[in-house]
Amino acid sequence: MAATIERLPSTELRSDVYRRGRNRIQRAVTYILLTAAALMFAFPLFWTVSSSLQTWKELRSFEPHLFPAIPQWGNYAMVFSSVPFARWMGNSFLITAITIPGVIITGSLTAYSFARFNYIGKEIWFVLMLGTMMIPSQVTLIPQYVLFFNLKLINTYVPLTIGSWLGGGAFMIFLLRQFIMSIPRDLDEAALMDGASPIRILWGVLLPLMKPALTTVAILQFLGDWNEFFGPFIYLNKVDLFTAAVGLRFFQNIPLESRDPRDHLLMAAAAIMTIPVITLFAAAQRYFIQGVVLSGLKI
Amino acid sequence: MATLTSRLRLSGVSEMLTTSRQRRENFYGYLFLTPWLIGFFGLFIGPGLFSLYLSFTKYDVLSSPIWIGLENYTKMFFEDPLFYTSLGRTFYYAGVGVPLGVVGSMFLAILLNAKLRGLATYRTLFFMPSLVPIVASVVLWKWLLHADFGIINQWLMDLGWSDPPGWFGDRRWAIPSLIMMGLWQGLGGTRMIIFLAGLQGIPESLYEAASIDGASPIHKLRHVTIPLLTPTIFFNMVLGIIGGLQVFTAAFVATEGGPGFATTFYSLHLYRHAFDYWNMGYAASLAWFFAFVIVSLTIWQLRLSRRWVFYYGS
Repeated sequence: MAATIERLPSTELRSDVYRRGRNRIQRAVTYILLTAAALMFAFPLFWTVSSSLQTWKELRSFEPHLFPAIPQWGNYAMVFSSVPFARWMGNSFLITAITIPGVIITGSLTAYSFARFNYIGKEIWFVLMLGTMMIPSQVTLIPQYVLFFNLKLINTYVPLTIGSWLGGGAFMIFLLRQFIMSIPRDLDEAALMDGASPIRILWGVLLPLMKPALTTVAILQFLGDWNEFFGPFIYLNKVDLFTAAVGLRFFQNIPLESRDPRDHLLMAAAAIMTIPVITLFAAAQRYFIQGVVLSGLKI
Repeated sequence: MATLTSRLRLSGVSEMLTTSRQRRENFYGYLFLTPWLIGFFGLFIGPGLFSLYLSFTKYDVLSSPIWIGLENYTKMFFEDPLFYTSLGRTFYYAGVGVPLGVVGSMFLAILLNAKLRGLATYRTLFFMPSLVPIVASVVLWKWLLHADFGIINQWLMDLGWSDPPGWFGDRRWAIPSLIMMGLWQGLGGTRMIIFLAGLQGIPESLYEAASIDGASPIHKLRHVTIPLLTPTIFFNMVLGIIGGLQVFTAAFVATEGGPGFATTFYSLHLYRHAFDYWNMGYAASLAWFFAFVIVSLTIWQLRLSRRWVFYYGS
């Protein structure tokens, strides 16, 4: 994360300003504010982990325990034995395994078309594409549902994944287009002179250079699918097909054999569901930030 | 007709049709656009128009739609009290949550933009909550804000508030609870990163000039930083409002629209008509009105932006 943002020319001058004595107070105030904010952001995360390791009796006492007396690692095993959580996580992964190649292939094709070709109607299509971001999804929801219902595709992953194979959405296309436009055209032209076809240019010249943008898109798609609730909720009604997000809500509401409160188990499930995202973030921080900056700055 | 032809010639369209280079551009341009075009018509324009048609019908999916003219719309405006209250609640949620979120993210970004040691760690910490899936976040916040056993109420009681709010279970506090949760998730997320990028686009020379004029840090903030961030503020406001008005998952998973109807936002009201009562026609009319509201608001914001958004160097 630091890499993209800190490599900027202004740093020396600004630290120069801070070095002056009268700004010592300012620096102290900045640190105090930052630390207060950090505590507010971090505490709920800490509390999730801590609660997930307590017994429900510890949780439901009128005196809060910041730490469990004995960490109840068994809570995590209990989650997997109470509900098919492993299966739900697997389903979520399966969906991302279908959508990520889709958005990479068809999103790049669309972006390539917008970035590199000059055809009749291009500007209109481009504006229409950006316009789709403004329209609430509810407008197309009902006919889409009716369509998939009539095609007998309820309780399949088709409704949840087909969009990613048809361009992958305006935001992703826009991001990829911005990236292609930043690649010098000379490279295309040179390949064209050598007799390469447009599809070859995309495959052989542009895609290798687009790796950072494609990684970003893959990550954003993963996050989006992992987080997605509404689509899986209306299109899937067999418990075995649930995704982790829908499953967690299901776990929150279903009656279980044991009547004991399940707050500790829910917290463990919430933690389990967050682990893949945090892991991905830790592995690819740079691309997260890059994606945001790429898409946000130049609009 | 004559003007059309000349206009076409001016924009080069007639030439586009003739040269072979242009024919090639047209061919490949559209070839690569095809997957998106299929999606655009099949999943967007087609369903959009069909739902416009459905909004004038009575339709329950199982039998065919029956044309009823404007009945859904008159019902919406004159007979459905939840239509107005859900719309009002949605505006309350977005109208309070989004500006707070945008301003909060901006200040966090300004703090992080100071050149101090260890800020990368802070940035990572601030970003973490935005990674937590919404459903997981709801589970967590329902527990943090539990009326009896929640740690926040236990702290509030220690601080002397003998009768702290019931949060998600309390009609007056349910929406503020959702806003709080949204701020926790959103303040340090992508919005803050966009602000950081915006801050780094501010030319250092402006700060130097301000220093020479003897400007204090507060002055610099007011007269350099914030004016130059207005395009970023605007961008985040527009996207924030579009997203905020569509709030669904948080409210649905946390409270199912309750207690009472306290968190029945517009999208929940629409969902109930569509998938609980199978009033697909009525739900479609709700959806189209919603699109109208969001598009009008966005255009209004674009217009208004000319008065307050400042583009440096243009």
